[in-house]
Amino acid sequence: MIRDITIGQYYPVQSPIHRLDPRTKLAITFFYLISLFLANNKYMYLTAILFLGLYILPSKVPVKYMVKGLKGILVFIMLSVVLNMFFTKGDPFIDWWIIHISWQGFRTACYAMLRIILLVLGASVITYTTTPTKLTDGLERAFHWLKRFKVPVHEVAMMVSIALRFIPILVEELDKIMKAQQARGADFENGSILKRLKSLFPVIIPMFVSAIRRANDLAQAMEARCYRGGDGRSKMKPLKYTGVDVAAYVLLFLYLGGMIAMRILMTDWIWNGVA
Amino acid sequence: MIKANHVTFEYFRRDDAGNVSEIVEALQDISLQIVPGEFVGILGQNGSGKSTFAKLLNALLEPTEGMITVAGMDTHKEDNIWEIRKNAGMIFQNPDNQIIGTTVEEDTAFGPENIGLESSEIIQRVADALELVGMTAYYQQSPNCLSGGQKQRVAIAGVLAMRPKCIIFDESTAMLDPQGRKEVLQAAHALNQEQNITILYITHEMEEVINADRILVIHQGQLVMEGTPKEVFQSGEQLQEYGLVLPRVSQLAVRLHENGIDFAENVLNIEEFISEVNRVKAYTRIQAMGAGRERDSVVANPDVKQKGRDAFLQEQNRDSERLEAEVQENRQNAMTKGLVLDQVSYEYSPKTIYAYQALKNINLTINKGEFLAIIGHTGSGKSTLIQHFNGLLSPSEGHIYYEGKDIYEKGYLRVQLRGKIGLVFQYPEYQLFAETVLEDVSFGPKNLGLPLLEVQQRAFEAIEAVGLKDTIYDLSPFELSGGQKRRVAIAGVLAMKPEILVLDEPVAGLDPAGRKELLELLKALNEQGMTIVLVSHNMEDVAEYAKRVLVMENGSIILDGTTSRIFQDKKKLEKLGLELPVTAELMRELRVAGHEVNPWIYQMDEAVEELTRYLS
Repeated sequence: MIRDITIGQYYPVQSPIHRLDPRTKLAITFFYLISLFLANNKYMYLTAILFLGLYILPSKVPVKYMVKGLKGILVFIMLSVVLNMFFTKGDPFIDWWIIHISWQGFRTACYAMLRIILLVLGASVITYTTTPTKLTDGLERAFHWLKRFKVPVHEVAMMVSIALRFIPILVEELDKIMKAQQARGADFENGSILKRLKSLFPVIIPMFVSAIRRANDLAQAMEARCYRGGDGRSKMKPLKYTGVDVAAYVLLFLYLGGMIAMRILMTDWIWNGVA
Repeated sequence: MIKANHVTFEYFRRDDAGNVSEIVEALQDISLQIVPGEFVGILGQNGSGKSTFAKLLNALLEPTEGMITVAGMDTHKEDNIWEIRKNAGMIFQNPDNQIIGTTVEEDTAFGPENIGLESSEIIQRVADALELVGMTAYYQQSPNCLSGGQKQRVAIAGVLAMRPKCIIFDESTAMLDPQGRKEVLQAAHALNQEQNITILYITHEMEEVINADRILVIHQGQLVMEGTPKEVFQSGEQLQEYGLVLPRVSQLAVRLHENGIDFAENVLNIEEFISEVNRVKAYTRIQAMGAGRERDSVVANPDVKQKGRDAFLQEQNRDSERLEAEVQENRQNAMTKGLVLDQVSYEYSPKTIYAYQALKNINLTINKGEFLAIIGHTGSGKSTLIQHFNGLLSPSEGHIYYEGKDIYEKGYLRVQLRGKIGLVFQYPEYQLFAETVLEDVSFGPKNLGLPLLEVQQRAFEAIEAVGLKDTIYDLSPFELSGGQKRRVAIAGVLAMKPEILVLDEPVAGLDPAGRKELLELLKALNEQGMTIVLVSHNMEDVAEYAKRVLVMENGSIILDGTTSRIFQDKKKLEKLGLELPVTAELMRELRVAGHEVNPWIYQMDEAVEELTRYLS
């Protein structure tokens, strides 16, 4: 049913990766993405794949399940492969009829594809292994220092977590209002684009009204339960680093150091020496 | 615990330019006192000011005049606000709009977190609170997976975790099904008795406050009645003035009294009613036979009791045979005239992990002119079923015929079908969108492609049919009262001149007066020849208005028959967690107690007639 769809598709199992502090996972995600942009040769990509393996395998989220998630960006991957392949000039690799592919083009295309895949997989582990609430909790803590610059960190985190809670409710409501208007003869499927856009008014307006009503109700309920912003608020389960986090950080910095070192040392070696 | 001293609350209504156009007195000069440990019911029509009063107690609003103190603290004083909110927790109407956390446990912790308690203390309180409302097993669930009653219990736990002295229920059961209502009411009583928490229970469901210590009635911002349930429910006339009604059993007692029978008027429940019948019957016997006989001869005699039971069972058999035949005949009747569902099944999100079989092999014929009620639990498939009637959902298997034609055949005009089978969703007022009432009501007929003149004509007629005046045409639907909005929304469907009108819980959330008006409207439409299909949780409404009843469970139709037939099958209904209408239950109990009354009566009027005959 429509209400079962949750953002980020949290995969509920017990694993060391699930137990990691969300802040640790945020750090891993952030630095892993950066490291991918450093990579420019096969050794570095191999290291990146290895690290991702170390991150994914203990999470007990089936790799198959994660790869399925790539389907959504298949078009994007193909596009980048094609563009890189045909528009990179260099030594000919395939030269047949109107198809001209250079060695360099082929290599860049492969790297581009690999980079996108690693990027998406690397970034999705955190959503598979962290509940939305923990994630917002982590974000709130990780960006706590922004408060000094008058950024309403707590408020934004609260907004995100409320949004996550209300998305399924609003999706269901949307479905209901659309059906109610269809029952009154509304037609969302036929006609010109302009007509179809116009036909959405009877859906959008009630949705707005309802969202405002809900927001109003919710604000009242929160106030009645003594909510008054982030100051003086405590947590039932405050975030705490554990041994797993320390291990994860050590691994992360080893990896990062390795990648940086490879980038500096290997660039000359590859371009001038061996190749 | 709570003291209100000459409390008045006013608010300004502003016109489009932002100028004050009107000062509305939501509450006028209310004085009252509530002592610790009391269970107080607060009754009143929609818009009577009872919710405003609740918000004053929680310091969400501040009185314009007068003073309110909660546990000795003045709500005017800024410093007291948080302490007051800790002490007087509040449960609101809409279960979805008051749960903040994404899991049960997290939501329960929200209050204690706000007041900055230690982590270990919060964990303890959350565990205690969830235990008290019986939701411990669900602590890690998402609130979206819970039933309405469970959601409200989570909301109660969230308040309990603040360790309040008083809890205010602001129409917290209005959006729930009977099961959910029971859960919430039971929780309220348990907290009152076991934890000695003061309860203020706002509702317009009379049956819910029968066991309250005291009842307050608010009407147009004024406190108009106050007393024990027995005192308040003594006379229907006064309550009627305030848009309320007596509990069903009391209604019956009052009407018997009016018919000249010496019957106590302030009878509140079935047990009291039966002992009153015993008393009256014994009394008339004594009169008939002269003095000297024991007064309890009817009931105390086990022989009579046994005879009563035998006769009861015999009648049951005879009646069910006759009615079964009737149902069969109905089914045979005219495939070509009405709506026919032939082996319809429906599955949500097929072939995914969320796949869910909502309807299983449904066979159903709805004839023109019927008044049909569909009952069953939340989630039994009622809503899915009615969405098949006009082709909003297409069956995974099976066929649907209207007037002999398959509505999924190529070339069948489903938009036209939607004109013929009108569907009014639950809380239809949420679908209003246009700038004016007239425009909104015209939406349906316009979509049918009718000429403008005809569209207008139909809109006028529909608005009149739902009992609204022509002064409403140019108003915005958003500035109407709740009850008016609902009527406008129904008019929007009526304007399409449907032959079959299907309504999903059309009276949910309305007060007794509004409920009755709407149901009478449906009755009138039915008498004019319109087929009515009513999805309802309310057995009383079904008993009074429907002629045929479908009972659904787990996506199947379990029972289908005349209303009297369905209400005879108490065992089956009970197994499904459904209750009999109070009248039927009462007549049945009287029969079991040995009184020679027809136990199959389920309507108020008939019951009054039968009991008048029996008792005079």
